[in-house]
Amino acid sequence: MSAGGRTRLPVLLAIWAALLAAPFWLPLIGGYTALGTRVLVLGLAAMSLNFLLGFTGVLSFGHAAWFGLGAYGAGLSLKFLAASTPLALLFGTLLGGVLGAALGALIVHRRGIYFAMVTIAFGQVFYYIAYRWNSLTGGDDGLRGFARQPIALGPWHIDILNSGLAFYYFVLFCFALAVGAMALLLRSPFGGTLLAIRENERRARFLGIPVELHVWIAFALSCLFISFAGGLYALLNNFADPNNLHYSLSGDLVIMAVMGGMRNFWGPLLGAAVFVVLQDYVSSLTTNWMSFIGLLFVLVVLFFPRGLLGVARGKSAA
Amino acid sequence: MNGIGRRTLLQATAAAGLVRLTSPFIISARGDSPVRIGMVDPLTGAYAAPARNEVMGAQLAVARLNAKGGVLGRQVELLVEDSANDVGTGVQKARKLIERDNVSFMIGDVNSAIAQAIAQVTNEKGLLQIVSGGHTDPITGTDCKWNVYRVCNTTRMEANSVCDVLFKKYGPKWHFITPDYAFGHTLQSAIEANLKTLGGTVTGAELTPLGTSDFSAYLIKARSANPNVIILLVQGQDMVNCLKQIVQFGINKQIPVAGTQQELESLEALPPEARIGNWMFEWYWNQPDVPHLAEFVADIRKVNGGKVPTARHWFGFTSVMSFALAAAQANSIDSLKLAHALSDLELPPEVKLQPNKVFYRGGDHQLMLSAFVGEARAHGPQDPEDLFKVDRVVAGSDIAPPVADTGCTLHWPA
Repeated sequence: MSAGGRTRLPVLLAIWAALLAAPFWLPLIGGYTALGTRVLVLGLAAMSLNFLLGFTGVLSFGHAAWFGLGAYGAGLSLKFLAASTPLALLFGTLLGGVLGAALGALIVHRRGIYFAMVTIAFGQVFYYIAYRWNSLTGGDDGLRGFARQPIALGPWHIDILNSGLAFYYFVLFCFALAVGAMALLLRSPFGGTLLAIRENERRARFLGIPVELHVWIAFALSCLFISFAGGLYALLNNFADPNNLHYSLSGDLVIMAVMGGMRNFWGPLLGAAVFVVLQDYVSSLTTNWMSFIGLLFVLVVLFFPRGLLGVARGKSAA
Repeated sequence: MNGIGRRTLLQATAAAGLVRLTSPFIISARGDSPVRIGMVDPLTGAYAAPARNEVMGAQLAVARLNAKGGVLGRQVELLVEDSANDVGTGVQKARKLIERDNVSFMIGDVNSAIAQAIAQVTNEKGLLQIVSGGHTDPITGTDCKWNVYRVCNTTRMEANSVCDVLFKKYGPKWHFITPDYAFGHTLQSAIEANLKTLGGTVTGAELTPLGTSDFSAYLIKARSANPNVIILLVQGQDMVNCLKQIVQFGINKQIPVAGTQQELESLEALPPEARIGNWMFEWYWNQPDVPHLAEFVADIRKVNGGKVPTARHWFGFTSVMSFALAAAQANSIDSLKLAHALSDLELPPEVKLQPNKVFYRGGDHQLMLSAFVGEARAHGPQDPEDLFKVDRVVAGSDIAPPVADTGCTLHWPA
């Protein structure tokens, strides 16, 4: 098992080349740019969840809450504060990140199933706030009436609103920033400590590692990353709705991470790609598309318990 | 650990192969290809039945158009996507239809909130949309858009058509069972406004989440408020569940139930003893002396397992037909020209299938369709599906508030 999920350089280059060229090869196989953007955003969300799940070893079943808070934060900022995309992303990230860090301090004292239950509970609190607060969030109808704004970068003016291509590269840039930060964190001694906690929490405690503090920091960072993804999601749809906060989305994110391979840094991105593309494709053919996702998930868990990407690596290291 | 191992290569190939396998293989031919119509409707969830019927109606219209040579000489293709009764999914599907499939025209959605959200997308893309089944007022009111027209009634029109009947029949104290989203909120406030001018009072309102299956707590609360009538504003599967439970608990023996919009889909899904109350239908299949109606009913029966068309069939049918009528008039499928052509367009008899003048009002893009006010009945006298006794048919222009009162100001692109 490679420490911190370090990916070899040629593989890394291949991943980035594929992502950079996606708008050009996607149409050839029947995709479209907005689908690629969706994969990136949900992939980032699943990777953020996996920061906690795969590298710290605690399962949060309420991460959609922070994702949705990021989405609502970005939307509310664009609608009521200022017509600025960077500000919206910052506001969304901070809203989810700060609330996640604050509540995380309460959550991290629980482990295992209790941890998962408490995260669901807090997630549903935010879901119902968004659902009932009609005047601010639009309730069940969702938050409308905002749109991502073009970005002024010195002399350049990037129109991410009307050009789906420009927006894809904007999201890819944000994705690269977040993923780069995540990889650096995991490579640092801090990341090593997280792995130690994941492998054997009791031993880590005996070694004098303040486990609760580390889990809390990992939780807060994970919330920060996922609310950043949530902000991007709101910009993608120009829309936010309570289902962005619902625990069923948390479940989808866990499925993406587990399906792609939760011990692998890039696994969740693959999981998200499979999930999103399958949903997009199969739901046009049949209304029972969830059965197919479920079937695939069952198959993956039965035959590739380490996920689609985890299988090869797991065997070679075992 | 360095260099590309066999495993790495394998896993990369597997990943690439998987992405290919799961990707849709769409042949993207442009040019003299068919005119594509996108339709987003909740084919799963609480509104599955009405949504499927809208799709069926739209398919009939497409088949009829194609049999006569299509639209402007091009065949018509209908692409249907399931919004799963979820706003986010609806938005995503609308974007997919526009960005990938390059549709020329959009229809949707039964759910008001989704219809409004899709309207924002089509407006952003400058694409003509007809809202086939979402009733909330702002769509052709405060939130109206140059590219958005609506076939079904506004909640104000529904309330105006039936409130005086209910008031005279049942009395002044009303209690609401309201679905907790855009449609329910605007419908309730429209009825409250009517009730106030009539001199009645509201004893309370139970806001129920969409997709509620157990209404007992709400019904017990409504009964204890002791109103003259319980007004049901829930729709689709929620209406079915709610009426069934009202009859099970025997609440209808103490307090009558009624409402505004009722649908044949719901009445048919109910046991005979639960087909009760005064309502309005937006369109009805059994009308005397309406030209072309029999042909429409027969055509739908053929594809609907022998069952008659509902208002939803007619909505889907009329949405597609309106697009064809506008295209013929504008001699173009450019959205802006189509939107101008639809303004004040009157539906011909073979499309409107009802008495009174039916036209798209230019000021707010709302179709002025008739309202069928009457009473539900347990069994149809001649046809088992004739479950609604129509007492009167009101012209849409008589129940719609004037454009100035809708709050609609249209901003056309320069």
